[in-house]
Amino acid sequence: MVDLSQYLPILIFLAIALGLSAAFVFLPMGVARLTGAHNPDAEKLSEYECGFPAFEDPRSQFDVRFYLVAILFIIFDLEAAFLFPWAVSLDVTGWPGWITMMVFLGELVIGFAYAWKKGALEWE
Amino acid sequence: MTSYFQSLGLTYEWSWFIATIAGILLIALPLMLAVAMIIYVDRKIWAAMALRKGPNVVGPFGLLQSFADGLKVFLQETIIPSASNKGLFLIAPIITFTVALMAWAVIPFNSGAVLADINVGLLYILAVSSLGVYGVVISGWASNSKYPFFSAMRAAAQMISYEVSIGFILICVVLWSGTFNLNGIVEAQQGHGLGIVNGYFFNLLLFPMWVMFLISSLAETARAPFDLTEAESELVAGYQTEYSSMAFALFWLGEYANVLLMCTLNAVLFFGGWLPPLDIPVLYLIPGWLWLFAKIFFFFFVFSWVKATVPRYRYDQLMRLGWKIFLPMSLLFVVLVSGWLMVTRYGA
Amino acid sequence: MIQVLAFYLFAALTIASATLVIMARNPVHSVLWLIVAFFNAAGLMVLVGAEFIAMLLVIVYVGAVAVLFLFVVMMLDIDFAELRAGFVKNFPLGMLIAVVLAAELVLGIGAYRAGSLELGTPDGSAAPLLGKSNIESIGALLYTKYLFLFESAGIILLVAMIGAIVLTHRERKGTRPQIISKQVRRRPEDATVNVKPEVGQGVQL
Repeated sequence: MVDLSQYLPILIFLAIALGLSAAFVFLPMGVARLTGAHNPDAEKLSEYECGFPAFEDPRSQFDVRFYLVAILFIIFDLEAAFLFPWAVSLDVTGWPGWITMMVFLGELVIGFAYAWKKGALEWE
Repeated sequence: MTSYFQSLGLTYEWSWFIATIAGILLIALPLMLAVAMIIYVDRKIWAAMALRKGPNVVGPFGLLQSFADGLKVFLQETIIPSASNKGLFLIAPIITFTVALMAWAVIPFNSGAVLADINVGLLYILAVSSLGVYGVVISGWASNSKYPFFSAMRAAAQMISYEVSIGFILICVVLWSGTFNLNGIVEAQQGHGLGIVNGYFFNLLLFPMWVMFLISSLAETARAPFDLTEAESELVAGYQTEYSSMAFALFWLGEYANVLLMCTLNAVLFFGGWLPPLDIPVLYLIPGWLWLFAKIFFFFFVFSWVKATVPRYRYDQLMRLGWKIFLPMSLLFVVLVSGWLMVTRYGA
Repeated sequence: MIQVLAFYLFAALTIASATLVIMARNPVHSVLWLIVAFFNAAGLMVLVGAEFIAMLLVIVYVGAVAVLFLFVVMMLDIDFAELRAGFVKNFPLGMLIAVVLAAELVLGIGAYRAGSLELGTPDGSAAPLLGKSNIESIGALLYTKYLFLFESAGIILLVAMIGAIVLTHRERKGTRPQIISKQVRRRPEDATVNVKPEVGQGVQL
């Protein structure tokens, strides 16, 4: 059985860390108002573009390769997810378990080789 | 620590609670102090390698430089660009810093000295560090400005690319130690090399994994030579361009906390964590956390050294290294390590 | 006591953030609420003792799948007005699916309540552990008993990878990628010549 009392500190830690970092962000805003450093104007609040007014909407379409990287990442992440339980259960599963995983890895190596050959891993 | 508070006459629940809070503060506050000092150390090392003096005005040897910077930043005005998504703009640094703190919950500082001794400690670290992408991506998007956005996209693609090979490297370590618990991993390294060296680096199959892990941790924390997210000559200050005041400082704190975490992981996973380097009884007289801190500091020195000496990668080279070299290599080593263990340990 | 409190905290946050996923006007906010929902679901998983599943939920869904979602909604030019027009058009269909799902839920819970379903032990602690921990037990089952399912998961991943590449990969013309092997093979003799020009003469290349 999982010892849940070991997870409670993490929850408390999360609360404290969130509180701490929120304080770090919002406290200076209050302090700046008190000291008079808070003095915004339109130019100061415009986005940075080397002194020019912004030319176009920055959230433009992006290269499709970023999606491809993200998709490949999901696939390899899942592969790693399958490797985690395998890595600690080898003493139980023995050779059959090992060979099973090698077949699984073989399947993914085929995919990887395909991606490589197709040039999906190229950035130029 | 719980038993100490119990001896003061408190009930078990209360003493547990107080001990936990004290433990959390014992991790979080020294960590922030360490980050402040490590920024100073980084600048000093970097300066020394460039034959400069580095910070030397504030306090003796400039030791208080980081605190002066912190105070300055604290008193600054927080500028929230009018075109930004205000809520997300402020949440992004909070996420970055929170995530950087959270991972420390499972790091063992000494035998048994760990806040949350969970079975899946290594997976927890992997899970928390995979959240680091969000702080960067959200800040880049919420700024609604070109440079932060480009930087965020670069950072996201870079981080996820190297996370893949980090996952496979960790599997090699787990294969050898047979557990995900970080304390268990450290203990499994006792006398690993020839019965006298504590640490997995003294292992022909795991040494290449450590080299790859060190380089991947540089890439994962976007340190030089992989600091393309903040390539100042092309992207101003990267995803932090629009930030000011403590929101900006939180990114720095989070970044350096992550660097320290990666140094710690190098020490814990491959260099025996809180164990002394050699398995000699005399060395165990020095407390374990001192050994761990010495190892962390050593790796931080390596990080600084690399930053001071290695030129920056180009983005295609970075992706090539991650996907075409590290990924197949780490996969191959998963096969080699597991095969070796099957033959020598589990085969019978 | 704390467990019950934590359960209600996580459950309430899961439902609240799931609602906000569909209520948020900005798709980026939707994805971020989805991440919060995943997170709380992971918390629930920890509460039932499935720590490995909880970590996987964060690693795979929050760390990988949601990053892809975020990429897509951040980088596509989405016309929000058009999306909302589609909402009105597809509303009846959506309602129909919702009704079907609700009916399934009612049927399922009803059947379980009637006692005709065997769901096994809901508590992980009651099941015999094959290994020392949660993960080891999963491994011990997955790579022996459920071997076929595991290998077919591998095939599905392979198909997904090839499909993604076929759909998104475009050959680029006119690029000059770096060929490392060619660079490494290049010797000084191929690139440089030693010449000794006479005085008053230029270098003939």
